[in-house]
Amino acid sequence: MDEENHLHRFGTPLEPLEKDEVPAKKPLAIEDQIVKDENGKRRFHGAFTGGFSAGFWNTVGSLEGWTPQNFKSSRGEKASKVQQRPEDFMDNEDLGEFGIAPQGIRTRDDFSKESEQEQRTGQRKRKLMQPPVAGPIPGVPVLEQLLRPVRDKVAVRILKSMGWKPGQGVGPRQTRKEKRLAMARNKREQYLLDHYGDEGIPSSTKQQHSEDAADDEDNDDEDEDEDITFAPDDYEPMFYTPKENRFGMSYSGLSRAPVLSKSSTTAAPMQHINLFGQLDTAAKQKPFSIRGQAFGVGAFEEEDEDIYAKDDMTRYDFSLADKQPQQKKAQYVQQRHVIDGFSEDKSNITHNKPFVIDLPRDFKPRNWLQRRSRFTPLDAERARKIAEADYKKAGLGRHDLNPEQRAQLLGESQVKKNPFKTANSVSTQEQQERSKSLLELISAKSSNFTKGGLISTAGEELPVATVAPVELSKELQESNAALQAQAASKTKNLASSQPSSGFKPFLADEAKQQRYEKFLAANLKDDKEITEFLAELQPVTLSLWDREMEKKEFMQASKIYRPLAGLMLDRFVSEATVQEGNAKQEVQPDEKLKIVMKRTKAMWKPSALLCKRYNIAEPYGGALPEVENTLKGKAKMSIFDYLETSVNTKANFQTPTIIPKHIELPKQQQGQQQREQVTLPTSKPAPTAPVEEAEVKAPLEPANSTAIKPTFVPKTPLEHAVDAARDKPISEKIDLFKSIFDDSDEETEAPAVAQGQPPELEKDAKIKEMQAALGLPCTTATSAAAVNLLRNNSPPRGLFAALFKPPEEVVKPTEPAPTKFAPIPGNKLKIAYKSREERLRNDRELAMAEVPQEDLYGPKLPSQLKPTEVQAEASIDAKLQQLWQEHAPKKRKAEQWVERTLSSSEDSDEDSTDSSSEDSDVKVKKSKSKKSSSKKSKKSKQKSKKKSKKGEKSKHKSKKKKSKH
Amino acid sequence: MPAFLNFNCSKTIDCKQGAVRAVRYNVDGSYCLSCGSDKKIKLWNPVSGLLLKTYGGHADEVTDVAGSCDSSYIVSSSLDKSIIYWDVATGAPVRRLRSHAGGVRCVCFNEDSSIAISGGRDNAIMCWDIRTRRLDPVQVMKDAKDCITAVLTNDHKIFASSLDGCVRHYDIRVGELTCDEVGQPITYLAQTKDEQCLLVGCQDNTLRLLDCESGGLLSEYKGHQSADYHIECGILADDAHLVSGSSDGDAYIWDLLETKVLQRIRICDNGGVVHSLATHPKRQEMLFARRRDMYVFSTDLQIEEEQL
Repeated sequence: MDEENHLHRFGTPLEPLEKDEVPAKKPLAIEDQIVKDENGKRRFHGAFTGGFSAGFWNTVGSLEGWTPQNFKSSRGEKASKVQQRPEDFMDNEDLGEFGIAPQGIRTRDDFSKESEQEQRTGQRKRKLMQPPVAGPIPGVPVLEQLLRPVRDKVAVRILKSMGWKPGQGVGPRQTRKEKRLAMARNKREQYLLDHYGDEGIPSSTKQQHSEDAADDEDNDDEDEDEDITFAPDDYEPMFYTPKENRFGMSYSGLSRAPVLSKSSTTAAPMQHINLFGQLDTAAKQKPFSIRGQAFGVGAFEEEDEDIYAKDDMTRYDFSLADKQPQQKKAQYVQQRHVIDGFSEDKSNITHNKPFVIDLPRDFKPRNWLQRRSRFTPLDAERARKIAEADYKKAGLGRHDLNPEQRAQLLGESQVKKNPFKTANSVSTQEQQERSKSLLELISAKSSNFTKGGLISTAGEELPVATVAPVELSKELQESNAALQAQAASKTKNLASSQPSSGFKPFLADEAKQQRYEKFLAANLKDDKEITEFLAELQPVTLSLWDREMEKKEFMQASKIYRPLAGLMLDRFVSEATVQEGNAKQEVQPDEKLKIVMKRTKAMWKPSALLCKRYNIAEPYGGALPEVENTLKGKAKMSIFDYLETSVNTKANFQTPTIIPKHIELPKQQQGQQQREQVTLPTSKPAPTAPVEEAEVKAPLEPANSTAIKPTFVPKTPLEHAVDAARDKPISEKIDLFKSIFDDSDEETEAPAVAQGQPPELEKDAKIKEMQAALGLPCTTATSAAAVNLLRNNSPPRGLFAALFKPPEEVVKPTEPAPTKFAPIPGNKLKIAYKSREERLRNDRELAMAEVPQEDLYGPKLPSQLKPTEVQAEASIDAKLQQLWQEHAPKKRKAEQWVERTLSSSEDSDEDSTDSSSEDSDVKVKKSKSKKSSSKKSKKSKQKSKKKSKKGEKSKHKSKKKKSKH
Repeated sequence: MPAFLNFNCSKTIDCKQGAVRAVRYNVDGSYCLSCGSDKKIKLWNPVSGLLLKTYGGHADEVTDVAGSCDSSYIVSSSLDKSIIYWDVATGAPVRRLRSHAGGVRCVCFNEDSSIAISGGRDNAIMCWDIRTRRLDPVQVMKDAKDCITAVLTNDHKIFASSLDGCVRHYDIRVGELTCDEVGQPITYLAQTKDEQCLLVGCQDNTLRLLDCESGGLLSEYKGHQSADYHIECGILADDAHLVSGSSDGDAYIWDLLETKVLQRIRICDNGGVVHSLATHPKRQEMLFARRRDMYVFSTDLQIEEEQL
């Protein structure tokens, strides 16, 4: 206790220590706690505790000690006095990281992010866009880095880069005088505008001239600094004044302000002469004068300077005080409530408000010719007028009778009228009564409708409608039905009507437009029909190419330029069809709906990955044919795709073949020619071409005749064998393959053997060469297959198998079809002496023969598979081929390398038996090979065996594929 | 076969996510998911009615949802034409898959949840390899001629029903597409546990049971009203009863063999279409969606048994 009394207590006692707890460290005594800076220097010190460290190690001075600044004469440097900055008076610490003016490299405000700026300035800007919490791309958004804020506009930056500085105008540099003049002018204009409105401005130009003269005198003494130039002002102020008078443009009449009044305040006219009122004008030393074009000045007279000189006291107000500074001050005072760069309008012009009519309170605008709703009856007078106006439109006397009167006169039976109309027309009393009741009903109905009652489609009224008696509703129902039927019949016609050719896409070419219209009217869907149809319309002079193009254009145009009605027809259904549909639906529930399950199976190829994920082996080891992946080439829709659909797509594009073969002979001659062809088609020397005759005669053999007319050839035994073998197991087919490949192998030998007599195949090759040389597309079926080595000769699969099968059976060797066209050997060009009809017909046939069918999807069918009519074409082709042979230059006959490639290509296609034309080839080869069989070497036999094995394999594969289908 | 026990409402959950578009159980039926018209999916405990998680990220109404076999992921389809693969625990969308040209109507997982199959209004069925980062579908089937309404899959087949009145079976094992034409627009598809039969809900107020093998029509079930709604149907866990929603606010339970209505569950007196439902994979329990609410129905006895 004693101790306690002795002690004085300061502060709060420490918490008593726990028994076990040992103080980790001896707490530092207050006197030992020293504040240090980053260099380990003591921050506060000694007697000055609490003060900052100062100087060099707490001394006053520097490393060298304290040395006073040497006196230096600053006399020469007065102009370039060093600007002192706050940093000059700061310590290193202050410039450090935690000092009051931290120094360091950091992004400038222009380029820093908003958040950094906020940190620095302590201000928060509202963020417009919160960055997404978890965006797809981690890290700092790239966009934000790219889109740094740019302070200056591009235009300003460009200007700056060209040397412009803000505050300096653009344009040629001006001398001081010029600049002053410009400034004065602007000021004056401003002034005039302020005081006189727009009337003041034109006169100011005059004033300016006179003032220029005055200024010249003042500036004479400053002429020496002519070569010092200044940049022009930033911009020339613009002065706009509202036009309030009715004068012509830029005409200023006599000022209407009273001559002697203070003109600056037009609002307060007719004041007494204010002697001291016009200080401003006086400052310019210019008396106010009355001028104007309207004021008695002749055309040839110089405008008088001042007609009625106005004398006021300001002219005698000589004061020495300079008024200029005062004015200046006024000018630079910031005007309140005015945006920078604008000035307040001092002319108190109030714009006239547009004239407003004071309407009566209960006025409602209304077109009196229209009824308020279709249910309210018109008042009788007006209804009659409208009705009369309807039939009196023609304005002739005979229309004075109304239709009913006319009908009575003519003794026609009364037509049942629309119940809505009968209200207006004179009719039998019964009808009137009925119509009245109808109207009542309808109005009741409509009111019910608004009340929430229901109207059933049949026109019956649900219990809500209490007004309508039962019989009436029945009547109404009847009439409604009649009405509906009427409407239906009307709309039916509408629906069926074709989109008329309101739009004329080919207006430039009238004939074409006509054709187009006819084409539209015909409304053909089938492509072939269209070609036929157009062929009849098109003039003979039109080339095949043009025809084709025109057809496509027409089809496209009809697709695109459908009139609105047509477009709408697609979207809306006529009432008639709706009714029919309803009727059907009504009938349906009565019948017992029988669900018949239909099951269809199709091949489907699951993707490899899908199988993998399902843990299932790919069916057929993934050998299923790939369905074309529509997703891979993601369709990029473009309007141009649509626009150019039929004409310009590569798929549709087909070079029309222009061959001088479709020249028709006169009928009689044609028949003759045909007979000739059947009997001996090769020996058909043209009577007009004696030169060629010689060529033709020599090399031809009768054996060729079969080869030349491919379609006429009956089925060969080989073909039969192939057909028969189709269903046999593979093992049994070996013989067949052998027979095939033996043949083909022999073929390769054949040309070498039969060198002396140029074989048929060789000729084919030559034709091909010729065609290639001429740049003609392949015309014949055989040559097409032979020439195009890239062509896929493998058997048709999947969809195509189904496509190709039927014609295979159809194209059985039948009677030789009569050829439509027979070539005139000598005539290579179309210029034949023919009657117009013939030419027309010819053209038509040409169009029919050449234009491919386009309503089939997929690749173009091999031409030899096209039924019947194509046969004729083929025969022509054969003849043509023959022609080519005849004209073929002889020197090419020796070449043989084409032959080999041909035969090898045929090796690969085993299913070529499909085509009868190629059959013939095979047959020919066979026959030839038989001839040369004696010379067959053993080697070739071995070869053929190998090949047959190969063929067997491939056949096996194809068989497998077929089984999967 | 045990006698049929009537279902009673054991829980009503106000989902608070607009109209409930679909309700689904997870793989073992311990949780359920609801899709709302407010673009969100909610995960519930159907027994307690506890909201466990909300999944938001779709840009339009969510039409269907499916949980993966390990219940760690969810895949959902939406009218915003996209499918989202969700992480259940974090609630974050793992992947967002867009390739459909129209709103996606239905989605399901395959058995090991490596493939998600979706069907949409663009008449396409798309298979998505959901475990990889591939963003385009593995396969697209565009055979249907109208909107796909439901997709199902088992270990080697994908079934899809379409409004064109066909059920299409894509057999991966055989590489074959089988199309069973019913002739009526099909709004929903369910499969029996034995994978022998398919139950199709048709637009003509009829459920039809189809034989998977032959494609024959086994039986028809009538009584409910489908009106113009996509009414869903289901097969109860015992494979002996069928259930369907109805536009008149009821649900109907049929006996599978006798094709007669066993119970007409009056879900609410206020009407509202019962369009979506889900059957518990094991128990006799069902979920119904009606307007903004989800209803859990079960036979009381079983719950008691479980609680014991």
